[in-house]
Amino acid sequence: MDFIDYYSVLGVPKTASDDDIKKAYRKLARKHHPDLNPDDAEAKKKFQQINEANEVLSDPGKRKKYDQYGKDWQHADQFDEARRNAGQQQQSRRQYAGGDDFSGGFGGADFSDFFSSMFGQDAGTGGGRRQAKFRGQDYQAELHLNLRDAYTTHKQTMNVDGKNIRITVPAGIDNGQKIKLSGYGSPGVNGGPNGDLYITFVIADDSRYKRKGNDLYVDEEIDLYTALLGGEKIIETLDSKVKLTVPPETQNGAKVRLKGKGFPVYKQEGTFGDLYVQWQIKLPTNLTEEQRELIRQVAAM
Amino acid sequence: MQPNLILINEFCVYHHVEVEFVQLLEQRGLIETQTIQQATYVQPEQLPQLEKFVRLHQDLAIHPDDLDVVNELLERLEYMQQRVTHLQNRLVFYEPSGS
Repeated sequence: MDFIDYYSVLGVPKTASDDDIKKAYRKLARKHHPDLNPDDAEAKKKFQQINEANEVLSDPGKRKKYDQYGKDWQHADQFDEARRNAGQQQQSRRQYAGGDDFSGGFGGADFSDFFSSMFGQDAGTGGGRRQAKFRGQDYQAELHLNLRDAYTTHKQTMNVDGKNIRITVPAGIDNGQKIKLSGYGSPGVNGGPNGDLYITFVIADDSRYKRKGNDLYVDEEIDLYTALLGGEKIIETLDSKVKLTVPPETQNGAKVRLKGKGFPVYKQEGTFGDLYVQWQIKLPTNLTEEQRELIRQVAAM
Repeated sequence: MQPNLILINEFCVYHHVEVEFVQLLEQRGLIETQTIQQATYVQPEQLPQLEKFVRLHQDLAIHPDDLDVVNELLERLEYMQQRVTHLQNRLVFYEPSGS
């Protein structure tokens, strides 16, 4: 557990007035507020730090204690004890450690160990107001899939906050798509409803298929002679194999569209995008002298 | 108390806001409330929005009258972020190494 310099968190000098602190807090809070920075975990963390710094520095009692003990905060209790024994007038820590009935779920969870050790677990008063004490908190989670996983509707188990949750991932989900599972967040308090769970899907690029919406693109090699004279080629799709006819004199980069062989359309069962096969003509190498001669003859015709 | 519905008075006590605050949000069309036998309730589905407005009001001192503007801009931001994700997915198609 490290000492936290609350003044530097807010970017104000130790001599800052209450107004300076308020102003600095507002400015930073506007910048990092989680509601203004959705899905930004860094901003959330930063806001918690700012909030905590403000919690201490905007409360005269807490600020006094913080200034008094500074880096010797670990010995704060001992100092208190010593002063008590010496019969000096001293302020009771309890004065700051009361908290209110509704601050649970915020103080313990979102204040640093440093804060809790200095001011007690439930010391968050102003800050305690800000968090849900009624409806449970929402959870954000990421689920990483590969393209082939996303191709079929399947069950997936994820661990959220120590609990295993089994979810159904509908086929055709897109990279970056977010779904909400109502009631799968943290439990509500005082009869309030549970929070929700938001899952963002992160779908890795596939080495073979490129996805554009519901369509898939794949490069297939054919040799020069098949391209020139025509032939057949067996192509793998995500769920089967297809035999394609290569017409004579196929150009490099020519595309064939296989209707309905692409990616499933999200939540439209039985509907699929298209698969585009792009021919990549592979030129022969290590020609023999005989082959060279024959090509020269063709070229001269 | 009606099943599942959240009593506004109770919500306000927990969140340390005035009932007038919620009424103002309702008048601005930002949330919907239901009045049953002179008691006002919100649907649980409205709570995330309502709590967001409370946070913005308390943390950033945004006046309730201005919350509709903030909300409008946040909705636009969300839409833009969705567009960015969509366009990034498209970009990967043309530039596989960069997104």
